[in-house]
Amino acid sequence: MSDPLSRRDFLRRAGGGAAALVASGYVLRTWERAAPAAADVATPAAGTLPSIPGRTLVVLELSGGNDGLNTLVPHADPAYHQLRPTLGVTEPIDLDGQVGLHPSLTRLAARYHAGQVAVVEGLGYTPPDLSHFGSLEVWWTAQRPDGSPGWLGSYLDATVGYEDPLAAIGLGGQPAPALLGQQSFATTIDDASGLQPRPPRWTGSTDTLVSSWSGFAPARIDTRPLVGQVERAVSLTAKARDRLDQVLSPSAAPTPRSQAGGAYTASTVVDSLTLAAQLIKSPLAPRVVYVNGVGDFDVHEGEAQRQPALLSDVDQGIEALFTGLGSAADGVVLMTTSEFGRRVAENGSGTDHGTANVHFLVGPHVKGGRYGEPPSLTQLDANGNLVPSIDFRSHLATGLGWLGVTDTHPVLGASFSPVPALT
Amino acid sequence: MVSDRERVAHVVRRLSMGPHPDLVGGLADPDHAISTALQLTGSSPVPPTLPAPASRKAAAPADILPLIGWWVDQMASSPRLIEERLVWFWSDHFATSLRKVGVAYLMRQQHATIRQHATKSYADLLHAVAKDPAMLVFLDGITNRVGNVNENFGRECMELFTMGRDQGYTQADVVAASESFSGWIVNIPGLPVSARLAAFGIAPWTAAFLDQRHDESVKTLLGHHGDFDLDQALDVILGNPATPKFVATKLYRELVGLNPSAATAASLASSFGHDYQILPLVEAITADPAFTSDDAVRVRVRTPVEKLVGVLQAANADLSVEPRAAVAVNALRQVDYVPFLPPNVGGFPSGTLLLGPHDLVGAFDLLDPLVAPPPAAKDVPALLARFGLFDVSSGTRHVLDAEPDPARRFALAATCPEYTVA
Repeated sequence: MSDPLSRRDFLRRAGGGAAALVASGYVLRTWERAAPAAADVATPAAGTLPSIPGRTLVVLELSGGNDGLNTLVPHADPAYHQLRPTLGVTEPIDLDGQVGLHPSLTRLAARYHAGQVAVVEGLGYTPPDLSHFGSLEVWWTAQRPDGSPGWLGSYLDATVGYEDPLAAIGLGGQPAPALLGQQSFATTIDDASGLQPRPPRWTGSTDTLVSSWSGFAPARIDTRPLVGQVERAVSLTAKARDRLDQVLSPSAAPTPRSQAGGAYTASTVVDSLTLAAQLIKSPLAPRVVYVNGVGDFDVHEGEAQRQPALLSDVDQGIEALFTGLGSAADGVVLMTTSEFGRRVAENGSGTDHGTANVHFLVGPHVKGGRYGEPPSLTQLDANGNLVPSIDFRSHLATGLGWLGVTDTHPVLGASFSPVPALT
Repeated sequence: MVSDRERVAHVVRRLSMGPHPDLVGGLADPDHAISTALQLTGSSPVPPTLPAPASRKAAAPADILPLIGWWVDQMASSPRLIEERLVWFWSDHFATSLRKVGVAYLMRQQHATIRQHATKSYADLLHAVAKDPAMLVFLDGITNRVGNVNENFGRECMELFTMGRDQGYTQADVVAASESFSGWIVNIPGLPVSARLAAFGIAPWTAAFLDQRHDESVKTLLGHHGDFDLDQALDVILGNPATPKFVATKLYRELVGLNPSAATAASLASSFGHDYQILPLVEAITADPAFTSDDAVRVRVRTPVEKLVGVLQAANADLSVEPRAAVAVNALRQVDYVPFLPPNVGGFPSGTLLLGPHDLVGAFDLLDPLVAPPPAAKDVPALLARFGLFDVSSGTRHVLDAEPDPARRFALAATCPEYTVA
């Protein structure tokens, strides 16, 4: 019996999109022609895929659907100014006379000019799903059939398996479905307190308590019922906690409990990527750090006020990551994701859900420049949305390529060539 | 094989927000448990009032604390068990977040509205929430006006509150619904327009319809044509067969923890769609043999809020004493599961997403509102019964037996694998 409310069931509801894609017969361009998608992909065993020691992929998910048109601004296109009469970015940081970055992205622009930022334009999929949750499932599962694990979950399944619960670390507080595998385990932490529980004093020594608690994981785990899954999770959690404790300093304690108003403050990109640098430099050496749930990019209203603050957080966060990494930056590539871009026309003070989007690759091994094809602002789809030009799975393949995965078939269900933006 | 006591406890924890150990002992069998849990004795508790702030900027988010404490205490102590389960369910369904709304006072008003309708008519609840000031702010109804139609509420209403994703509506329907919903505003004190609205009789922090902001055009919504307003458009959506099916199936999954069979789903949808009465739907769901079957027992992951309620009930404690509510909220914050602060409009995470290390370790923090060690149980089975647990593995039993200190044994019971599921 499986848990009917489990992630797998949650993902199963994405099915309509994948089936409809096949029916449409329309395939987006990737860097090379994609192999036909397999109907069902068996999870490869741990250790079947190669890995390159010392490398980390940092994924920054801009939850809610970032407005790519106001992030990488096509300022030379008259249509942009017509379609964005009030929300249009008036003073972008020009990159090449055609496009410019939002003025909040000053540090990222400097990195672009230093040749360490690739912008990938026109990323998307067909048919578009304007639902947050539908589109998130497409991105999280790499648009695979019903019941598929997350794309990085599949990567973990095929590499570390259950061996290392800290091979992938989620930051930002919310568990990242992209990290959920079928035969692996990822650890999400909220802040630099790691997995340090703070039970009341009357429970005595926390280490002793947690040590007794780890006894709930029996030597032979029954994986069938849900309780067995909990037992496995207890065992891996105890292991993760011990190793995290050795790395995170006790001085990095979170907000004191008396400040309960802290319930209102969410983590920021800066917080998460600062912590990411610390973890990557540590002996934990995670292969993947996934940041999500930081910021609400769903700017249906108030975009002129909200997006600059959001992008500024992203800009400072990326800077904090690479500054914090120092020489360790050499092993790191950061990529952004988001469920969709936003509607080309504004709705008054914001923009509604859209389709194709621009994303970034950042790091010393990135060959800076523009990749992909900027979608036309005049030839829109029936709903007034951009028509994507590049399959988003090429973007995922780029990240996987950094981790040493040259054939994405076992992970993404089909072979996608990466964007040729890494050295 | 599930024991009789475990099955009774299962019924209680699914139809309420906690294990209710003091109640479970007196229940003869699952049928008795169902009828007891569905009784609406006395009157519905009324949430405490919160101060109305002078402006959105002046609103203090921490004002929400006493309301969270009060709510969790109702979950633990209200004799109207099913009402508390349904208040939580509908709150997660509409998933309005203080993080965007910013005004605890408005969250309290919405909470009172949800309570008022929680066991009655879903149609009434939906109509009320659609005009609720917190919802109008949360999903941008207040900026949705003719010529500048904002799709936020229209899309989420069809996708999450009524029909369900990919259930027969198109983007054109989302636009038509959004146009129909246009014209609603909230008098937000502190804004320049506030005094003028007040002069028209629109009190501060209340919602109103302004027809000059409404799109009066004839729309085509789900095949129906008309110059629909908000109420009419909601009635069109409620009249679509996808709506009772989606909502009834969602509630079935919440209470049973399994997917309904196709026949059950169709039959629940058909009777629910007739009048949208919630309590009869709950009765029909509990009458399905699957509800008390072995397959349904412990197939859900217990949410942090349910864990907290169970800890309070096990220890006979409440959150009314300062600063326990603040401590409890901070503990819930560690796992990002604070009432009134869902992460997004999809509601709180559920299922195996709640089995990550962060959540497992966070269960220890939920003990923190207990300022003193709880009274020692006479033995391990008595301790487990406080948490509504009767059937546990030999491994769990071994860990608890091996712990000599009663306070620590309590902490281990509150974090054992069987208590992690529900």
